[in-house]
Amino acid sequence: MVDQKKFTVSHAPFWHDGSCIRSRSYHTMLAALPAVLFGVVRYGMPAVGVISLAVSSAMIWEYVMNRIMRRDITIGDGNAALIGLIFAMLVPASSPWWMVIIGTFVAIVVAKQIYGGIGGNPFHPALVAVAMLMLSWKDLFDFDAALVNYEFDFAMAYPLAALKHFGTAAVENFTPGALLMGNQIGAVGTPFGLGLIAGGLYLIVRGFVRWEISLSFLAGIFVTAFIFHQADSARYAGPAFHLFTGYTLMGAFFLATEDSSSPVHFIPMLIYGAGGGILTMLIRNIGIHVDGVVFALLVMNIANPLLDKIRPKALGKVF
Amino acid sequence: MAKTLTQEFVKGLWEEIPPFRLVLGLCPTLAVTKSVENGIGMGVATAFVLVFSNILVSALRKIIPAKVRIACFIIVIATFVTVVELLMQAFTYPLFLKLGIFIPLIVVNCILLGRAEAFASKNGVLASAADGLGIGIGFTLALGALGSLREILGSGTFFGKAVFGPAFQPFSFMVEAPGAFVCLGLMLCLMNLAGKK
Amino acid sequence: MREMIKMVVVLTVLSSFSGGLLAALRNGTQERIEYQQLKFVKGPAIRAILKGCSNDPIVDRFKIKDGDVERSFFVGIFDGKPKAVAMESIGKGFGGPIGVMVGIDVDADKIAGVGITTHSETPGVGARAKTDPTFVAQFKGVPLADTFKVKADGGQVDALSGATVTSRGVSAALTEASAVYKRLKPKLIEKLKTYSK
Repeated sequence: MVDQKKFTVSHAPFWHDGSCIRSRSYHTMLAALPAVLFGVVRYGMPAVGVISLAVSSAMIWEYVMNRIMRRDITIGDGNAALIGLIFAMLVPASSPWWMVIIGTFVAIVVAKQIYGGIGGNPFHPALVAVAMLMLSWKDLFDFDAALVNYEFDFAMAYPLAALKHFGTAAVENFTPGALLMGNQIGAVGTPFGLGLIAGGLYLIVRGFVRWEISLSFLAGIFVTAFIFHQADSARYAGPAFHLFTGYTLMGAFFLATEDSSSPVHFIPMLIYGAGGGILTMLIRNIGIHVDGVVFALLVMNIANPLLDKIRPKALGKVF
Repeated sequence: MAKTLTQEFVKGLWEEIPPFRLVLGLCPTLAVTKSVENGIGMGVATAFVLVFSNILVSALRKIIPAKVRIACFIIVIATFVTVVELLMQAFTYPLFLKLGIFIPLIVVNCILLGRAEAFASKNGVLASAADGLGIGIGFTLALGALGSLREILGSGTFFGKAVFGPAFQPFSFMVEAPGAFVCLGLMLCLMNLAGKK
Repeated sequence: MREMIKMVVVLTVLSSFSGGLLAALRNGTQERIEYQQLKFVKGPAIRAILKGCSNDPIVDRFKIKDGDVERSFFVGIFDGKPKAVAMESIGKGFGGPIGVMVGIDVDADKIAGVGITTHSETPGVGARAKTDPTFVAQFKGVPLADTFKVKADGGQVDALSGATVTSRGVSAALTEASAVYKRLKPKLIEKLKTYSK
């Protein structure tokens, strides 16, 4: 029987639990901080430049769009800054200034404001921007070529690209521990796995991010990578490698979990996450793109409204 | 007649400019505007068919029985489209190669049937010709504008000539299919903004 | 009843008028279109194959009946003698038929050159058969064999990496061209004599 107590609603005034857009945005930025700081330390001034330019230009675009559309100015809620920060974490530290500005234009104007602003966007704005830039300027998104000016004391090859072109033999040196500690080439904010995991756990514990999505995304990657690895271990790398390279951890904790583009019910969340993980691995192993997280999550974003139809039947409603 | 011929002609250039105001004929608009040359070529071909089909439909409007009018319109339109296709093959073959399947597809372009049904079958020959010419030129202008925007951003060229310095890295997303949608959407949005005042 | 008859009559008259117009136009433009096609689609491939010939191979062409089909041959004149012919054959590729122009050195029974004319292969993968000159260059000077096969199938052709199906299609087209050439050689020699000076 239905527990009647669950449906009891007392009358106003209600107690506000204190959650608001601003706190969500700033806590998410706080959670991203370890990975961002690591990127700054690793890549130096260019990374600082990319991050500050992305955040500030994202806020300026938001302000401009608010003015044009004659709406309340919403840069105070921190969402534009958050999108700018996440976008900056996904691009190489060597990105030229115009690419960053076009990226935030796409993210804020095309992918967020035109769809009606916060809560109305069908895709994660930063993902749309990164996908568009990846398709347009492949050379600038080639992490190997982009970081040619740096000297590191570990293998100077983007792990996923090396895997794609030379098979698993080329990536044997990347141990999961080294990858977790960020000893790999990548975008500004993605190499430091431990920092991303810490940030993600913080968000989950604080309740800003649902563990179902993150976990099922990682599980989808793990299981699919495992199957491929068993089938042909010379061509396909093992699950641990895939979990800690490329955009995987970033996707699990910061991209897949974006509020308005991810499902809200339990089973849809599991399907959404797992689907993203499986698609990512299919693109990485079979597709022509080096990293599939961006495209996989965009596809799952489109499927999101359909997935959300899978929900408990409303009591007494007849279909 | 309420409107003069000039008015019938001018309305197609702004007030009822097809892809933006009527939002008709989007298939070729999205597909062929990778460059200005393609866009204008497609626009001219469509304008040609539009003018002649409008004239013929309006000349025959008293004879065509109401029940089979759509079939008759399509015969007229298809005839002129095939004429254009043959002429393009004979005289502008490289352009024909680029536009390819989209020339025969003018037949199913909504603008043509739309103008035949909504205008030419109810108005005189001269007015229909003016209407066809106006809408056709409007369509050409719109395709040219969209084509220029996409070509300049996406390939850094205009009519095949480089417009920026060698340092320019083309925004190749714009010449891909999704870029067409984004570009068209932004232009529509700007048109609406401009039309509001 | 009257209305029915009117409908039938109008549609019939319109259709036959349109059919007549198109037939006339087609007759008028056919030759030009064929020439344009040869010039823009097959021309570049033919010229690349018969490089250094002193005539225009597109003008010096003739047809030979091969069973039910007619095949076009393009003649290349070197040092005043018709030394090579080019012919097109079709192989099945990944995205549809691939047109392969095969140039044959008549004196030595060797391949003078190979070029791709029409194809619908994947850009960047199978389409490299046309854009990557090293692929077709491997055939130059190869003696005509009964079958051409890619190395993976135990043959002699270096396949394009990642585009085995396309390479197989090109090989099949070469096999066919070689068979046709052997079948028609006596007639071919007869015809070629008329071009000697």
